[in-house]
Amino acid sequence: MLRVTGLRKSFGPVPAVRDVSFSLARGRTTALLGENGAGKTTTLRIILGFLKPDAGAVETAAGRIGYIPDHPVFLPWLCGRSLLDLTGRSAGFGGAKWSAAVRRVCEQLFFDPALLERRPGTYSAGNAKKFACLQSLAVGPDLLVVDEPFAALDPPSVRRLRDLLAEARNGGTAVLLSSHMLAEIIRTSDDFIVLRRGEIAARSALPEFLSRYRPAGPAELESAFLDLMRA
Amino acid sequence: MPEKNVFPLTMSLTAAKLRASRFSVALAALLPAFLAFVAARGSCGTAMKFFLFFFPYVFLVAAQDMAGTEISSGALENVIFLRGVFRRFLWRKNFALAASAGAYAAAVFIGLALWSLARGRFDPNWGLQFGLGLLAGFYYIGAAGALSHFLKGGSNVVVILLAQAASLLGLLASAASRSAFIDHLEAGKFPDLVSRLKFLGFTAVFPNLIVSPRLRAGALVAAVGLAAALALQRALLRRLELRKEGRA
Repeated sequence: MLRVTGLRKSFGPVPAVRDVSFSLARGRTTALLGENGAGKTTTLRIILGFLKPDAGAVETAAGRIGYIPDHPVFLPWLCGRSLLDLTGRSAGFGGAKWSAAVRRVCEQLFFDPALLERRPGTYSAGNAKKFACLQSLAVGPDLLVVDEPFAALDPPSVRRLRDLLAEARNGGTAVLLSSHMLAEIIRTSDDFIVLRRGEIAARSALPEFLSRYRPAGPAELESAFLDLMRA
Repeated sequence: MPEKNVFPLTMSLTAAKLRASRFSVALAALLPAFLAFVAARGSCGTAMKFFLFFFPYVFLVAAQDMAGTEISSGALENVIFLRGVFRRFLWRKNFALAASAGAYAAAVFIGLALWSLARGRFDPNWGLQFGLGLLAGFYYIGAAGALSHFLKGGSNVVVILLAQAASLLGLLASAASRSAFIDHLEAGKFPDLVSRLKFLGFTAVFPNLIVSPRLRAGALVAAVGLAAALALQRALLRRLELRKEGRA
């Protein structure tokens, strides 16, 4: 679904991403891990087309891409419903099918549809995040890129979003998520990639990794991730 | 997003932004009312002359804050602008604004022209003047769009208006000199190279001048300026990245 090859990106003299290559398959959730400044966000932003790589390529077979940013910002002159309608039309949806998709995701996210008549800039941080999820999930993306998905959400919404991400993955979506919340990553991901100083330091299928560390308990598991990130 | 969907998206977003701007809506409502007042109390010809000279400002008002705030706010980092759509959106915004402001100006022009026709005072030259006014308006959009990559909010328009105010003050200050540029402008004749260069520079700042039948030569400046402004925007957009650390 997505193939990233030899990605490089520097900001001035500072290298942010160095020779990063990986691929994502349909129906898998891959977590991008790393400390602050490891190159996670830069990698995501190159994949999404917000940044241009100095070298390397991003190839994707995805027709529809979803993106849930960590701190979503919206065009200030549109109400939620207008923005959603534009999202649907841009993705080739319309009419009853789109309305049904929006209604379904609203219910799943506990998002009050009455909020759609207001401008998303007036939403609380949690509702803004839910609206960004709504925009991306309602189109039924082939590839879903999520930056810090659980930040700003209340516990019931975290649980709902986790279910929605699992549902998308089970429906064949390739999910790429970046998060610092290791406990949530363990619950939601199939694979993980650890970035350190702009390079891939480790990658593995999560079950294999867990089978090595589970006997030692959750605290040890967290330590194992931290060791990978810092080694 | 399929390429064919980008322009309709841009048109929808641009129209919604214009509708949300109280200043644009007020201007759009007041201009025809003012023209109708002038036509009723004075003459259709006076109202048309006023309209033809000033309507390019409709494009300038529409072009305020074309890119700067949207780029720096993070609002373009949305699912509808992925995979470079934000660049194509910002580029096509030039044409969406030109179409929106042009449609509005054409509607007002047709209204005034019909009124004049009904009173038997229609001048066929107005059509050409309207076309030249459109060129001036497109030039404003190109220039304001390019400036908007460096300036946030409506300061792209403010910079153009300040440059015009400074040029006018310079023009008035030079009125006392022997070979006053203001006299050349009035006559539409520029006898030497210096006055010709001054005219080119003045037209670049004040493209509305080309509407005047004596100053049509300035249309070339507006056309070249428009092409240059669009080329600059194109180059800026090709390089444009949405960097998180640059957010407002």
